Amino acid sequence: MMQKTPKNIFFEGPIPAQKIADDIQKHASKTDIGAHSIFLGQVRADQFEDGLVEAIEYTCYQEMALEKMHEIREALFAKYDLTCMHVHHSLGTVPVGAICLFVFVSSKHRQAAITACSELLELIKKELPIWGKEILNNQTSTWKKNN
Amino acid sequence: MELLIFGSLTDIIGTDKLVLETPQDTELLKVSLLKQYPSLEQTHFFLALNKIMVQEKQPLQEGDVVALMPAFSGG
Repeated sequence: MMQKTPKNIFFEGPIPAQKIADDIQKHASKTDIGAHSIFLGQVRADQFEDGLVEAIEYTCYQEMALEKMHEIREALFAKYDLTCMHVHHSLGTVPVGAICLFVFVSSKHRQAAITACSELLELIKKELPIWGKEILNNQTSTWKKNN
Repeated sequence: MELLIFGSLTDIIGTDKLVLETPQDTELLKVSLLKQYPSLEQTHFFLALNKIMVQEKQPLQEGDVVALMPAFSGG
């Protein structure tokens, strides 16, 4: 069997709402699915002492991130009864109010989809080498810190 | 060896890639980086050797790619 190359999860710029609708529609043919758990991350206009966030500029160590994401995917498929899992993370500039992360986990039943989606989000934040730089409205920037 | 630099650490190092003489191991690499870029001392950084996170000292060889990374902030 050919070694599977890791799927690319990166999306240049903001993720359009239309893509989310289209991706839901694409799953209509997978009739063993009974539950989708979808998470959307949106760029928030945080107020800092230096200014207000206008956008986040994302960079990553792509090769490492894709390998790590592949491991995470395999581990979650082994742990939960899932039908499919899709992750899309923005790279480049995403303005306030736009979607920068789209996670889509499907299963026969809700519990596996919800639990796996929530665990996946924690792993994305903790283990993927991705960095956000918050661009402020006074032309300066600050490196994003995750809670 | 090649050193890839990411996130806020690019502000300290001033570039996102360096080609360096290969030190014997990852500890010696850290020592030499801290000597050359003392502000790294104030940051919390991780190393990955050939895309694997370095947990303890690892020997280095010509052709290795080491990534110098601050805490992740995806999502």
